[in-house]
This record gives sequence, C-alpha cells and structure tokens, in this order.
Amino acid sequence: MAIITISRQIGSLGDELASYLADKLNCGLISRGFALDNFFGELPDGVRDRLNESAKFFMTPLKGSGVTYKDILIEKLEEICNDKRREGENVIILGLGGSVIFGNDPYVINIRVRASDKTRIGRISKRYNVDLLEAEQIVTIGDRKHKRFVSTLFEQDLNDASLYDITLNTDNMSVNECGAVILSLMKERDLSNRIREEVKESSAVDHQSEATVFKNDTEAEFAHILDMYKIEWKYEPKTFPIEWDSEGNVKMAFSPDFYLPKYDTYLELTTMDQRYVTTKNKKLRMVRELYPGTNIRIVYKKDFAELVERLKQFDV
Amino acid sequence: MFIEEDADIKVTKVVYDEETIKNRVLELGKKITEDYKGKDLVMIGVINGALYFLSDLTRAVELPLFVDTIGFANIPDTTTKTGRVKITKDVDADLEGKDVLIVEDVIRTGLTTAYLISNLELQHPGSIKVCTMLLNPDRLLLNLPIEYTGFEINDSWLLGYGLDRKGIGRNIPSIVSVDIQS
Repeated sequence: MAIITISRQIGSLGDELASYLADKLNCGLISRGFALDNFFGELPDGVRDRLNESAKFFMTPLKGSGVTYKDILIEKLEEICNDKRREGENVIILGLGGSVIFGNDPYVINIRVRASDKTRIGRISKRYNVDLLEAEQIVTIGDRKHKRFVSTLFEQDLNDASLYDITLNTDNMSVNECGAVILSLMKERDLSNRIREEVKESSAVDHQSEATVFKNDTEAEFAHILDMYKIEWKYEPKTFPIEWDSEGNVKMAFSPDFYLPKYDTYLELTTMDQRYVTTKNKKLRMVRELYPGTNIRIVYKKDFAELVERLKQFDV
Repeated sequence: MFIEEDADIKVTKVVYDEETIKNRVLELGKKITEDYKGKDLVMIGVINGALYFLSDLTRAVELPLFVDTIGFANIPDTTTKTGRVKITKDVDADLEGKDVLIVEDVIRTGLTTAYLISNLELQHPGSIKVCTMLLNPDRLLLNLPIEYTGFEINDSWLLGYGLDRKGIGRNIPSIVSVDIQS
C-alpha cells in the first residue's frame, strides 16, 4: 500500500507518469481537476475559474465560514489518504502540494518529475503544435504558476529537494522506466513499513535506514547466494534487546544478520569464529522466548561451507 | 555398487533399501491421492534428481494428473559475482489455477525449492505444495510448503535413487551414504 505524491514541471511527463501508475496500480488519481469537481461542493459561478487561475484564491474563506479553500483541500486529501491507508489501497496525488501536506510520512512516497528546459520546450512545442518561442513561454508561465501555488498555500519552495524521496529526470528516462523505479521503491517501502510496525510493537530497534556494510566476506558471499536464488533479503534490519539491567538499560542485544521477508525468517551466520556459537545459541533462544513467533535460524560454518560445496556438486 | 571405480567415493552403508523406499513411496502416493481428489493436479519433478522418485510416485497416485519436469543449469563459479541459477528446462503445462505439487529428491537448505516456487508462482497456479523424498530439517533455512516427506536425513553425503555426485550414482536403487575423499 502506498500514497504517491507527484510534483512535476510542465512538459516533464509527470502527468503521463501519474496516469501510467494509476493504471498499473489500478488506483485513484487525484488531480487538480478531480479536486475542483469533488472537494468543494457546488461552486458559485466563476469560482472554479478563479481557483484554477489564482493560488491566492485558495486562501479565501468560503461564504459564511472562516474555512478557506486551502483548509478544505488539505482536509479532503487527508481524509482520502486515511481511508485508503485503512483499506490498504494505493492512491496517487498529482500536484496540489501533496509532498508538502504529507511530507515526512513514511507511508507516503513523494516524487518530483523534472526535465531540462530544452527537453520540456521541445515536448510542449510538439504537443501543442506551437513554435519553440511560444513553447518556452508556456513552460515559463507553467513553472511560475506551480511555484506560486506551493509558496502561497504552504510557504514552501517547490524546488526544495528535501520535499521529495526521489527526483526523476525524464531527459533520458521514459514513463515506463520512471514507473518501474517507483514501483520498485513502493515494494521496498512496504517492506520497511512492515518491519517498522513490528518494531513499534516490541522493544526491538529499527536499523533500516542504515546502509548495508557487511562485516566480513562470508556475509557478502551469503548475500550473493541469496541473490542468485532471487530471495529478497535485508541486512541487519532489526536489533532485539534480550537482557536489561535493573534500571531498564539494555545489557545484551541480538542483531540477526539477514531477514528474508517472503519467508519471515531471520538468519544469523556464525561462520567466522566458532567460539561464539554457544553465546549465539543462547541469544537465539532468548529472542525466541522474548519475541514469540519470530522465526530465526543459525547458519553454522559447516552449513555454509557445505552449501557452497553442494552448490558446486549437488543440488541444495 | 555402480561406483566402485571412483576412488574418491566410498559407500559406507545403505541408508534406505529398495523395499523401504518402495513402501514409503506407496504411502505418499496414497496420501496424495486422498488430498488431491477432485483437484486439478500437476506433478512437477525437478530433474535430474527427482526422475526416479517422480516416476514411482506418479504411478502410486490413483488420480488423473499431468506430469511435467523442470530443470536447472549447473551453477558456475558460485563464490564470485558471476554465479547464477538458470532454468534449463521449463514446465510445458499451463499452470494457471492448477494445483501444483513439486516433486524433489532432496531438500537441504531449501534455496533451490524457494527459487523454483518463485518461478512457478509467476504462472498463478491455484496452489503450490512440495513433496520431497528426503529432507534435512536441521539445515532448512526457509519456511516452505513442504507437505509430504519421504524420510528425514542428517548431514551425511548420500547417493542413489536420483542423488548423484558429478552425475554419477543416480541409478543406485537404494539410498546410500558415502565418504568423499577429496
């Protein structure tokens, strides 16, 4: 499940990417047009045009109340996203300052789609059958309006990279390629969120944001073997506290080397120094006792050597 | 015993003789017959190891069923980044909505079986379960849908009834344990 916000420059293929994802994920796409049609009830004459034209008009209170169009926009977007989250469904928000409204929410993926001016002007020229000069004007006005919308409503700079999880440059990337990147990120994010939820429910510690740096060659080789078998893995995603002192400080903890999400199984390699095997076995028992339902297994030095040997000689 | 001239391998004992294997296969066949009654069963043997087991087991199942095989390539240079697993013989059957039973000769770590299941899942079968002649539960790293097991084994090297070393020994009718000298 993911909520995807897409902020895009005009002519960057952001609209096409949003439609592609909505189609692939079979989910709703909330655009400015959708918001104007559905969020504000029946609009008096001229109001729709003014909302389309002027960012400032979103700050206007509705007749008879102190609530502005901006307040309603945020409320409705949050309402939809909360519903989708509860139902485990995806939704895509195109523009509307989505990345600002949902910034820092781990369940939201914020995307910025851009391209060079030259590329965008070329695309606009082709799309609207206008000369390059006119296309440049369209691009300039479009950029200005997008920027003004976000700065007026949210006092944020649309070009601030920290608003986005990733920025895609479509100078050389197709819509399909961009889509593949986002779908892959969605899958990873889903998994990270699952582990984050599990950690929240226990006293374990989440290490997912840390980069994968293997402690030794055996771990790297084992990761490669898992890759060969297309078995998805996470390296040391979690630490399980297993012993505390009288003040509640953690005295002993255990961080299994690998987590295999599909099999919901943690693996600990003990291939380097067999002197630690007894300690590891003890820790493993404690994890099983303290965190019931946790699948955890040890790969002993002998197992690993045999695994590599059998890969060469026998089926495994 | 089919491998006398290979000085690297010494047969130490017969672990399961022909009669024991035959009886166990009949038991498994009976259980599968009960469990898959009225279902659209496809039994897929992992070649070459499961050839003999697949042949005996399918004949012990008293149901209409589709028999197929799947094969893997050798894995060159496992310890470097060039090592990879490759399917050399894919299934021919249409698996969509079918009840697939994978037939393995032996499962140790379960990595091959996991890879196989992932590949077959792409064809959206109705269900996937596994039947293995031999299983080493102490070495199994993954939770797999292993529904039927012939015998549980330990770490010793085994040959026969499909199990080989460098392609030799599969046709030994019993399952024997061996010492490998090098």
